[in-house]
Amino acid sequence: MSSRSVIAAKNLTKIYGKKSSAVKALNGIDLEIQRGETVAIIGKSGSGKSTLMHILALLDSQTAGRVEIGGQSTTRLKMRQINRLRNRRFGFVFQQFFMNARDTVLNNVMLPLKIAGVRKSERKRRAMEALEIVELTAKAKMRANDLSGGEKQRVCIARALINNPAIIFADEPTGNLDSATSQAVEDLLFDLNKKKDITLIIVTHDADLAARCDRQLYIKDGKIISNVADDNKGKRAARDENHTFRPGAMRKTVGLSHKRSAGQGGRIL
Amino acid sequence: MKLIDIIKSANSNLLRNKGRTFLTILAIFIGSFTIIATSAIRTGVNGYIDKQMDSAGGEGYIEIMPQAFQEIMQSVMSFGSNGPTEYDPDKNSTEMTIISADDMKKIAEIDGVESVKGARMVEAEYVTSDKTDKKYLISPHALPSTRINIDIAEGRLININSHTPEINLQPGYATVLGYASDADIIGQTIQLAIVEQATMKIQLVEAKVVGVLNKSIINMGRSWINESLQDDILDVLYAGMPSSYRDMTMLATAEWDTSLGDDGLDRIKDDLEELGFVGTTINDQVGMIKTFFDAIILVFTIFGGIALLAASIGIINTLFMAVQERTREIGLMKAMGLGKGKIFMMFSIEAISLGFWGSALGVGVAYLAKAIINPLAANTFLKDLPGFNLMEFDILLLVYLVALVMLIAFLAGTLPARRAARKDPIEALRYE
Repeated sequence: MSSRSVIAAKNLTKIYGKKSSAVKALNGIDLEIQRGETVAIIGKSGSGKSTLMHILALLDSQTAGRVEIGGQSTTRLKMRQINRLRNRRFGFVFQQFFMNARDTVLNNVMLPLKIAGVRKSERKRRAMEALEIVELTAKAKMRANDLSGGEKQRVCIARALINNPAIIFADEPTGNLDSATSQAVEDLLFDLNKKKDITLIIVTHDADLAARCDRQLYIKDGKIISNVADDNKGKRAARDENHTFRPGAMRKTVGLSHKRSAGQGGRIL
Repeated sequence: MKLIDIIKSANSNLLRNKGRTFLTILAIFIGSFTIIATSAIRTGVNGYIDKQMDSAGGEGYIEIMPQAFQEIMQSVMSFGSNGPTEYDPDKNSTEMTIISADDMKKIAEIDGVESVKGARMVEAEYVTSDKTDKKYLISPHALPSTRINIDIAEGRLININSHTPEINLQPGYATVLGYASDADIIGQTIQLAIVEQATMKIQLVEAKVVGVLNKSIINMGRSWINESLQDDILDVLYAGMPSSYRDMTMLATAEWDTSLGDDGLDRIKDDLEELGFVGTTINDQVGMIKTFFDAIILVFTIFGGIALLAASIGIINTLFMAVQERTREIGLMKAMGLGKGKIFMMFSIEAISLGFWGSALGVGVAYLAKAIINPLAANTFLKDLPGFNLMEFDILLLVYLVALVMLIAFLAGTLPARRAARKDPIEALRYE
């Protein structure tokens, strides 16, 4: 295992229901993501991609296998420690933003630090720093509801990066935005990735967004069917060689490649 | 998350839906206010009675009544609901309802009893004076014991043993009897009209006013007379009748050695019971009034309690709605690492805050009510009872009540708070 491994999954399995009605949402996922990598998780709805992200983000627990954060297994961690880990090491960006619409932008951005128990003056200082990165300092005092969609997502990004996370989990971050705004939000995320070396794990339908990532994980029926490191990215190509490729997973379905090639700006799957 | 931040969040969450929060607080307020106001009246009334009792000192004497007489009273009080009772000569004979001279002797012999005096039924038709033609009703009563501290507004207390017929009048008589003030009537002679029981003829008996009383519940509207005046009145009342009529006693008053304390008093009461009598001190009598009053207060407190119960269902309802509305927010905060306990605490504090504001509003409005009602009462139906504050607050009781309401609110809040704490962040953040 690489010393730069930030998060890894070992034979991750998730089964919903019991016995006869059991559904395997994840079926033996092996995965290792390096620090500073950008990974897109792609799959149809019901493929298990959301479940994978939830388990990686320690929001859900696996039936079998394990998740390692920074080389440490999380299996035996207590709820408290897991909460702490999520609070300190992860940032979350959602398609639907999930903000307190009536609260101010500043308060929304400060929320993770409030949860962490950081004192108010410090919270404010760091929130303003985060807002500066997303270029929304001028709107700190505005109500979240009064912002445009793109601004809302930028606030969410500010909120996600306020605790200097190692990983940002983004669930369809551009799903609710028009293409121009999407572009700005994507630029912001990748910029953060470059400048702050924050690992991005993005669940998306957006082919453009997926293509911008260092690696694309295609999930089907709870398995990784394709784990593509984009060599064109150059910068991280060397590191990607270590990635666990599952022998059978390399085959690309015709439909998949067809759809991928089908559209700039279109949506895959 | 720090406690202060949790409290702040809880309170700002309450302000998000002001109307709903206000209505819930209003419901809690109604229950709290009912309890606070009734308990304030209880404190006020009991405080006044105690004050009067303290000034009356009344523990030094015992009023003695035959048990048979008390039973008759009780059967009257029960409105015959107990049905016919079989006659028992040992309990129900007329002889048993009076206190004979022999009984008096036996009572006097009880250990701890210092003296015993028979009280006689004294009745006056009216009172009048030389200065007026008008006639007024009066309730003269022989002072049973000098151990009662009688509150005198003007003049002095009657001298029980004086040979001059003396009277202490209730306030207000001086002016209606034609005198400029209470001071002016002191030393003057007034006339009590007494009806001869045998002939129904009215005769006037002279009485010297030596003092005017302050209004007090202990006096119960009675004008105190000394033995000399009592004798004069009895002479008229029972004129032409056998002396046994005149001497018939249904009520006696014994003075006892108060140094024996409560145990001694209980023993004297037991001895009296063995002789077939019931002994009650003024404290017992006031105690009965208090018990009756407390029963009324209890009913109102129960009403308040029911209102609080309904209000706590309101709290549950409000918070369930809040949990429902804030599902996403709860999910988000959990995803961001806020623990179950903190989420539970946040909603519990919301519930507790509702309880606090509701009961605090109750306290505030009760203070306002006191400021309005006390002077109003003092100027109307409590006009003649100076120093009687209808509502009085027992600060400690208020603190307890607010704490109790907060506890009730907390308990009501545990249900929705638990639901919030158990929310699965993935479920909560699922977007349909």
